[in-house]
Amino acid sequence: MIQLEHISKRFGDQKIIHDLSLHIPAYETVILIGPSGCGKSTLLRLMIGLLLPNEGKVSLFQEELTLDNVESMRQKVGFVLQDGGLFPHLTASQNIRLMANYLERDSAWIRSRLADLSELSHISDNLLERYPHELSGGQVQRVALMRALMLDPDILFLDEPLGALDPLHRVALQEDMKIIFSQLEKTVVMVTHDMGEAASLADKIVLMREGRIIQYDTMSKLASEPTDPFVLEFINAQRKPWQYLEDQIK
Amino acid sequence: MIMFRKLVWMVLLGLLPLVLSAVSDNTIRVGSKKFTESVILGEIITQHLQSNGIKAIHQDQLGGTRLLWKALLQGEIHIYPDYSGTIIHEILQSQNIDSMAELRTALDAFGISMIDPLGFNNTYALGVTQAVAHRYHLNNISDLLRHPELRFGFTNEFMDREDGWPSLRDYYQLPQKKVRGLDHDLAYKGLESGSIDLMDLYSTDAEIAYYKLHILADDQNHFPEYQAVVLYRSDLEQEVPEISTVIGELSGLFSDSIMTNLNSGVKIDGNTEAQVAQNFLQHNFKTTTSIQMSTIFDRLLQSTREHLFLVLLSLGAAILVAIPLGIWGSKNPTTGQIILSVVGVIQTIPSLALLVFMIPLLGIGGPPALVALFLYSLLPIVRNTLTGLKDIPQDIRESALALGLPKMARLRLVELPLATRSILAGIKTSAVINVGTATLGALIGAGGYGQAILTGIRLDDTSLILEGAIPAAALALLVQWLFDLVEHFFLSPGLKNSQELSS
Repeated sequence: MIQLEHISKRFGDQKIIHDLSLHIPAYETVILIGPSGCGKSTLLRLMIGLLLPNEGKVSLFQEELTLDNVESMRQKVGFVLQDGGLFPHLTASQNIRLMANYLERDSAWIRSRLADLSELSHISDNLLERYPHELSGGQVQRVALMRALMLDPDILFLDEPLGALDPLHRVALQEDMKIIFSQLEKTVVMVTHDMGEAASLADKIVLMREGRIIQYDTMSKLASEPTDPFVLEFINAQRKPWQYLEDQIK
Repeated sequence: MIMFRKLVWMVLLGLLPLVLSAVSDNTIRVGSKKFTESVILGEIITQHLQSNGIKAIHQDQLGGTRLLWKALLQGEIHIYPDYSGTIIHEILQSQNIDSMAELRTALDAFGISMIDPLGFNNTYALGVTQAVAHRYHLNNISDLLRHPELRFGFTNEFMDREDGWPSLRDYYQLPQKKVRGLDHDLAYKGLESGSIDLMDLYSTDAEIAYYKLHILADDQNHFPEYQAVVLYRSDLEQEVPEISTVIGELSGLFSDSIMTNLNSGVKIDGNTEAQVAQNFLQHNFKTTTSIQMSTIFDRLLQSTREHLFLVLLSLGAAILVAIPLGIWGSKNPTTGQIILSVVGVIQTIPSLALLVFMIPLLGIGGPPALVALFLYSLLPIVRNTLTGLKDIPQDIRESALALGLPKMARLRLVELPLATRSILAGIKTSAVINVGTATLGALIGAGGYGQAILTGIRLDDTSLILEGAIPAAALALLVQWLFDLVEHFFLSPGLKNSQELSS
């Protein structure tokens, strides 16, 4: 579904991605994870054509991503940013319907699609009529997710969608997302730096450091068969509070 | 935003017939300079033409000598009164014209004809109050050599005329350093209040008697003769063969004292130039021309119409040009810088200079004023469009891109709506500046509220100044209020609280 072949990306003198290849099969949820500055967000933007690689090629649906087809390709994928990226001058419902209206989809289809997504995302009708600044952080992310799903894309890209939420909303949305992804049968690529989130959602995890992939595997394989000392180091660094308390008692 | 643009278009299209009618007008246009005597003479010429069945209008108080001369050469006006000394020294800048016949030949080369002199000599003179004359024992211009501390206030035209202050200073070797340029009518006030000691005068000024001024004798004969004459375009005789005869009837009808009396009829007695001209013609030709006595409401209606025409048309055009320029500039920092610099430089050109630059290209009246106002309106709109677009947060841009919206759709559906508040603020600033600057349009015959202000300053008539200044201020407030209303109705509620936008 998504194919990266020997891609490199530089910003000025700084090399962010080093000769990286990766294949993500259809219907899998893949998490890009790693410490800050490892290039995971850059990699995500390369996949959607928001950035173009200096070397190598990116293909979606077996078709190479180029400047000519990038707009039509983007219409076949969904994208959610950390802060939602909702347009402040439009209501939640206008945000969600924007692209469908622009492509002049049938209005009955738009209405029913909106209703389905509202139910799935737990967004009520009165919330839909609000402007982004009148919504909570969790609601904004749910609306952004609905906007990304509106045209029923095959691939969904998410850049730390839960990053700005408080822990309670975070867990609630994480659980809902899990249901949505499996119900709608999407290929999902999501960036996070939270190992717990990755473990809960991912079929496979791409662990990155300094622009390279360290290991691309399931969570259990990462824990049981690490290919590099950094893998365990990264997993163990993500302690839970109760673990911390246990350590104190010992 | 879209609806607002439609509204602007409707207004512009509505104004089109007005512009066209102004262009296709073919009556004889008489010009006059920005001082009372010239306006009276212009009025006399106009009414005299009219009473002889010739269609004529008077474009009064257009500006100074150079502006009138240029307008005459361009055919923007056909006739105007001037003075022999001014024509020789200021316009032709010639040292070797000693007779009216030689002057006539010189003017012929420009396709300009001149009638025989009107009969009075309005020469330059230097005047002081009786008190100053007494204190410093001033009788002749040569006496000024003894008092370098005296402060002079001259008209701006006199300051740099070839026959004005520079040559007077060199001729008499005058030592004074405190010399400044100011409006002629304000100079009388300055003299009276003691903020200047000496001013230049026209020898037929009514104020000389009124303020009991003491005139210093030109004891070494510096100033040439300033015989009043009437200039007109020679090609006028093809359209109106009787023109030279009709205008020629005015030759010799005046004397220094007659002209001083006519000036005094306006400046001291408070009659209009039209009334004074009518009485003069009635006395000399036994003709009665009908002059329209305009009420304050007629005048207000007229000047409001002219002012709105200037503001709406120039602002409308500026909006249509500046917003695309701002959009273009926001796409590339270098282009943006260049565009901002260019419109910024335009903004720094003094408005009067810009208006005068326009005359060779566009003549006088509405068109040059419109172009100047248009140019002045660009900067705030371009700058606000540009910053409004540049300030859109990165995540918003990215999500518009990620949705797969093409360039134009992103601009229309996301970027311009988000910049609306900033763009509207820019248009509002432009509109308010425009309303104020448009008052200067009166200087080149474009009318508007400036006409009353200009006449008011010339006649030292505060109520007339207010007749222009109050509506101009009211219009500026109205414009501001109108844009607040537009913002209220057209700005998305999601953008009303700007704090949310920036977070």
